[in-house]
Amino acid sequence: MPPTSPARRIFIAATGLLFLWPILRLIGFKLPKKPRIVEVAGTFQNDRFINRDEFIIFTADNDIWAVSRTCTHLGCRLNFKEEEDILECPCHQSRFTPEGIVLHGPAKAPLKRYAVEPLDDSSTYLVTIS
Amino acid sequence: MAGRRALIDWLARIKWGELSLISLYISLISGIVVGIHYTPSEPFYSASALDILVPYGAFFRSLHFYSSQFFFLFAVVHYLLVFDKSQSLSTRDHVVLIISLPCILMLLFTGYVLRADATGYSAGMIAEHIIVTIPLIGEPLNNMLFAITEHGMYRVYLHHVISFDLLFLYLAWNHLRRYRAHTSNHLLFCSALLLFSLLVAAPMDPEKLGISYITGPWFFLGLQELLRYIPPFLAGVVVPSALVAALLLLKKEYRWYRRGVIFICWWLGLYSLLTIVALTAHG
Repeated sequence: MPPTSPARRIFIAATGLLFLWPILRLIGFKLPKKPRIVEVAGTFQNDRFINRDEFIIFTADNDIWAVSRTCTHLGCRLNFKEEEDILECPCHQSRFTPEGIVLHGPAKAPLKRYAVEPLDDSSTYLVTIS
Repeated sequence: MAGRRALIDWLARIKWGELSLISLYISLISGIVVGIHYTPSEPFYSASALDILVPYGAFFRSLHFYSSQFFFLFAVVHYLLVFDKSQSLSTRDHVVLIISLPCILMLLFTGYVLRADATGYSAGMIAEHIIVTIPLIGEPLNNMLFAITEHGMYRVYLHHVISFDLLFLYLAWNHLRRYRAHTSNHLLFCSALLLFSLLVAAPMDPEKLGISYITGPWFFLGLQELLRYIPPFLAGVVVPSALVAALLLLKKEYRWYRRGVIFICWWLGLYSLLTIVALTAHG
């Protein structure tokens, strides 16, 4: 097999590099998620919260809302500490209010908040995850 | 001094490389057995069902877990004890062997994540969040390696059972094909490992409401602690890469050898300190 000439090698390397960026962009692209509606059946524990893997639904003063359980620092799943009325990350102890506001870092961003719609039977709720 | 020499001689007489290889064989075989009942779409359910429902599932999961840990630990001890001999390796062989160590760690780590209990799931999410901080290639790399948020455990499973194994075999092949390990020479170790796996369950941490502190795998405890204080890119990418880079440059013929040794000692010392803090300060 004849040796590849330097010009040909440069051409192949340049073409490879030229394709690298579109390939990286394609692989890294995240298709925006369609809003998802999750039906939750259950009653509020101590008239305060319903816990699910992805989110927690809270109620207070005739208002109902849900916040994500994903910590905005590094994505660990938050736990609700009922006695202190806070959400706490078990990995690095970031703390949030039930409304999702940061009380204590290292997390800096607030939690995602989701709309909750009660159905007529008053024990089923629709949570829109967007 | 004489005592230290005697200890090193005694350690050197144990065939750590063979023990590591035997642990790898056991890990691979038990991994296939465990994999029969593992479902990536129901990771926690299937992993905990192994412990609770599947006959002998808990034993094989323990065997897989502990043999994998021993594989890594023995490989590290083996490397330390044959360090002088390893100096005769060519630069290429040296580089691929050093890279095989983080590759083994990734195998252990993906296995840890796959059980998807409270700690496994969180460890996976942390890894995902660290990787996306890498400039330019972070998102594609995460999409290839983890992407737990988008695709659950599929990617992690794929790499645990195929990609990282192939990568490890590729990296260590030149080394492995030269050495043989016979189980018949290590019956005591094999028996002890089987008995240990029978008696000690592999970790499984179901989610508990209100729990305030969970820890990742032992080899990433220092990293977990560091993430508390500095940005994820520095703690999760730059700091571990610095150790790998220093190990890659650890050849006596290089002029920075001595500085490399000092750096590695400092790195390991500080990392051990962070690990102790992670274990004791937040419980």
